[in-house]
Amino acid sequence: MAGIAQKLASNQKQVAISEFFEKNKHFLGFDSLSRSLITAVKEAVDNALDACEEARILPEINIQIKKLDLKKDIIELKVEDNGPGIPQKSIEKVFGQLLFGSRFHAIRQSRGQQGIGITGVVMYSQLTTGKPTHVRSKISTESTAAVVDIGLDTRKNKAVKSNQGRELWELKDGTMKQHGLEVTTQLKAKYQKGRQSVWQYLRMTSIVNPHAEINFIDPEGEIHHWPRVTERLPTKVESIKPHPHGIELGQLQRMLSESTDSRLSVFLRMNFSGVSNRAAKELCAAAELDVGVKPKQMKPDHIRALLEAFQGEKMFNGKPVKMLNPPTNCLSPIEEMLIKKGLSKTIDSRFISTMTRAPNVSQGNPYQIEVGLIFGGNMPADKAVEVLRFANRVPLMYQQGGCLLTKAIESVDWRQYGLDQPGAKGVPKGPAAILVHLASTNVQFTSEAKEALAENEEVIEEARKAMLEMGRGLRKHLEKKKKMAKTQEKFELINDILPAIAAKSAEILDKPIPDLSGSITRIMSAVIGETSTVWNKETKQTDVSITLYNYTSRSRAYTILANWPEKSGAKLVDNDTGGRKEAMGVWAWKLQTLEPGERIVISYSLSGLEKGDWVETDIFYRGSQEVIGAMKMDEKYLEEIRNQENIMIEMNLESGEQVESSDDSTADSESPEIDLDEIIASLGEPKVPPPSGQSTLFGGEL
Amino acid sequence: MMVQRFSSEETKKAMHSVVKEMYDKIVGGEPPTMTLPVRTKNNIGFDAKLGVYKYGKKRSIRDATSLGSAKQLLRALYVVEFIEEMIDAGKSSTLREMYYISESWGLGKFGSQNESNNLAEDLEIVTKCLREDFKLRPEEDGARMIGNLTLRERNRRGEWMRINARDDVGDSGYGVPYNVESEKIELLENDIDFIMAIETGGMFDRLIENGFDEEYRCGLLHLKGQPARSTRRIIKRMSEEWDLPVVVFLDGDPWSFRIFASIAYGAIKTAHISEYLATPSATYLGITADDIVAYDLPSDDLSKKDVEALNAELSDPRFADSWWQDQINMMLELGKKAEQQSLAKYGLDFVTETYLPEKLAELGLA
Repeated sequence: MAGIAQKLASNQKQVAISEFFEKNKHFLGFDSLSRSLITAVKEAVDNALDACEEARILPEINIQIKKLDLKKDIIELKVEDNGPGIPQKSIEKVFGQLLFGSRFHAIRQSRGQQGIGITGVVMYSQLTTGKPTHVRSKISTESTAAVVDIGLDTRKNKAVKSNQGRELWELKDGTMKQHGLEVTTQLKAKYQKGRQSVWQYLRMTSIVNPHAEINFIDPEGEIHHWPRVTERLPTKVESIKPHPHGIELGQLQRMLSESTDSRLSVFLRMNFSGVSNRAAKELCAAAELDVGVKPKQMKPDHIRALLEAFQGEKMFNGKPVKMLNPPTNCLSPIEEMLIKKGLSKTIDSRFISTMTRAPNVSQGNPYQIEVGLIFGGNMPADKAVEVLRFANRVPLMYQQGGCLLTKAIESVDWRQYGLDQPGAKGVPKGPAAILVHLASTNVQFTSEAKEALAENEEVIEEARKAMLEMGRGLRKHLEKKKKMAKTQEKFELINDILPAIAAKSAEILDKPIPDLSGSITRIMSAVIGETSTVWNKETKQTDVSITLYNYTSRSRAYTILANWPEKSGAKLVDNDTGGRKEAMGVWAWKLQTLEPGERIVISYSLSGLEKGDWVETDIFYRGSQEVIGAMKMDEKYLEEIRNQENIMIEMNLESGEQVESSDDSTADSESPEIDLDEIIASLGEPKVPPPSGQSTLFGGEL
Repeated sequence: MMVQRFSSEETKKAMHSVVKEMYDKIVGGEPPTMTLPVRTKNNIGFDAKLGVYKYGKKRSIRDATSLGSAKQLLRALYVVEFIEEMIDAGKSSTLREMYYISESWGLGKFGSQNESNNLAEDLEIVTKCLREDFKLRPEEDGARMIGNLTLRERNRRGEWMRINARDDVGDSGYGVPYNVESEKIELLENDIDFIMAIETGGMFDRLIENGFDEEYRCGLLHLKGQPARSTRRIIKRMSEEWDLPVVVFLDGDPWSFRIFASIAYGAIKTAHISEYLATPSATYLGITADDIVAYDLPSDDLSKKDVEALNAELSDPRFADSWWQDQINMMLELGKKAEQQSLAKYGLDFVTETYLPEKLAELGLA
């Protein structure tokens, strides 16, 4: 295959690759010595996570950094995973080709949208140290591992392999490695600590990848360990076709020129999501084009007209052409429970609130916002909260101030939720960390550096809503804590202090100990609800019990409601009190009348959860007299839950239809030549463009 | 006039009435309670018969509906039991000792020494007993005295010692013990014309060095700031038993006014025993607001807290007479306060040769 390298070579541009790097290092992630190291780790770790996810393997990743030459800042980086490994013949492709793989033409959520790939690391290593990168790969069907050194012939601008061979891959414990990949590379780089460091990158990666086991040995030999806290792998994402609302002129031109379809209507139906037969015809009509026009032969004017029809500027019957939303099963949110686990394993705290919004669509691109807030523990109370930003599970570590996700945080008045925020401006202060994750098929960045997300009103509003809801969770928690402390005090009063007063006074006066029930009712004069949520080791279930005491002098009747993690796949079992489902994740029990001095216990278990998934149950009540320890049911809140639930159901229905009404084809066709400038241009575009086909920097001459 | 004292049996009976209130409430199906007078300046009034300020009729009920109050009630029971044990065993303890002993009271344990001091006072108020009846001693720092007066003090071995507070003491004077009741101290004789109570140690020592007590035939008493109960009690005893005038020489600031009020009219905290501690005939000698102007004394600006205190005093029934109202208002207008020792502006002897003779002459004491 004729690639760019060949082209370059033929033009005798001997320094092209080093120039390529030098000119573009800022968006390739190699603009400073410390960032170069982070980028190298990032590329290797992202690859490992992606490979494991695709092969449905629970990842275990070991990273080691050694300082080889302190004066010249030469560092050795070794990243080892337990992924499927790469077959020997593909190793050169993966490590020696720029833009290898499906990243640049498939529309789906992927980590790899954000980098140049591991090839960039190989290039950087070669250019700064002159050394090749050592790769060891073991696939499960072979008994030995493949080893090879991949380097770069800067004179010929060609990737070169050397020392190729096979060897036994023995692990430290004497057993043989089943499958996996190990990359060892030397590069000019600086190891740093702090907010922008390899450590922070791995820590953040671990938060959003709770299914991964990550070990890191830093240059001082210190071992950092982020354990796996769930056995659940992220859901496998489907790739989807682009939606007409999210397409740009260049991309449309390319798709048309590469099309082999004979009719425009067929092309529209087959290459886009959200375009039905009806919509295809209407789009053609709106653009004043014949449905039978051959896509490959369309003129620039026609293409522009088609684009305007896409965007609703050219209309059909006076209205923009209606199209279905794209399916959202191409997104892989982390999901609330796993965010909780990820955060709590990394940060010591007292409280976590999380929120995964229903998927949404902006300009034809499906996206989904997730937020998490972790509060209390050892975090400093007088400093700004730590902001943890992620796009498609990849940590964003630079340019915090200019990022959409930060702006969404700043748009909330956190004071009403119990955090300090001078003038209701900026990032709030307090012992907390806020996580924001944007999952999207088309992550838009402010610049080539790809560290800050570009403004988008819809996305900001969605993130803001998520944060408000999460804030309410925090406020509820703080209020509940206060109330619980009060309830605890009352119980201490009637269970310990009052009996002691009775006994002591009787002793001093030499009289019999009096009956306490009258005093207790007068002291409490309340209905009290208590919950306990505990993991049962034997049954592997979470046992919940709710006790309601009537310490008033009148009989009381209530409906008690409790939340439970239905969304996360839990099942409600052994629920002897019956009741009924009130909304997604909310169960209700209408209780019999509770006489003065009586108590009633509701108990049930939750199955399908892991230990630590569900540790606190909130209870609500319907009834006139306040229940201490429970919240009055806010019917609006129930309504909101039902709305979100309906959105989810609709989304699933829609995407279901989509899958049925379209067949998989077209996205990959043959690979036309693309020149280096265009790759640079496309890399440089803030958006991730989906050019089709593979293009290789080093051509097929490996 | 002597204050009524309780016998051991009477003390126990008074305490049992507190316990009975709690017990009866529980039997009646109610939260147990303890009824106390309100202890603020809004509930003190002048008792014309006794000539001092006493608590009024306002009562607050401490009931066991909150954890804090319930614990207070339980502690009160433990204290009652502890006092009974001491009475029966013929022992006494300090308030601090009681605080530490409460370590073994489980749920009735005190959170701080302040809590135990307050509770002892609560019990005094409710039972009308004195803390001496409870066999509880304060840790307070008693006053020291110098002057030609003679008293008898029973020492640890139970022997009576005769002490002249001029001839039998060193430069630091006679130290007043915590208990100055007749079982401990007897006032024998004196050859003085009046008693002068002084706020600061520096001024007390200046007067002694200058021989003021002999020249002006007076007893000098160092208050050590806010005077302890025993200090106020011995001033009252000397004033009544020896029929001596008492003059009080303090700094010129709002806090000194309060010290004077506690000596002359009764302190808000101890208004239940004002007739036992207060000396209504005591006179405020200085430093007055007038003095700051008249003697052109070096002064400091009033702080925010000083102004707040002065304003509070304006509505305090003890400062309701026109002389005090004028003094307080004048100080507020001046915006200044002055220390006793600011008199040294005119030399070390100014206080004894000019200021005090002039002030005492106004009162007809010199």
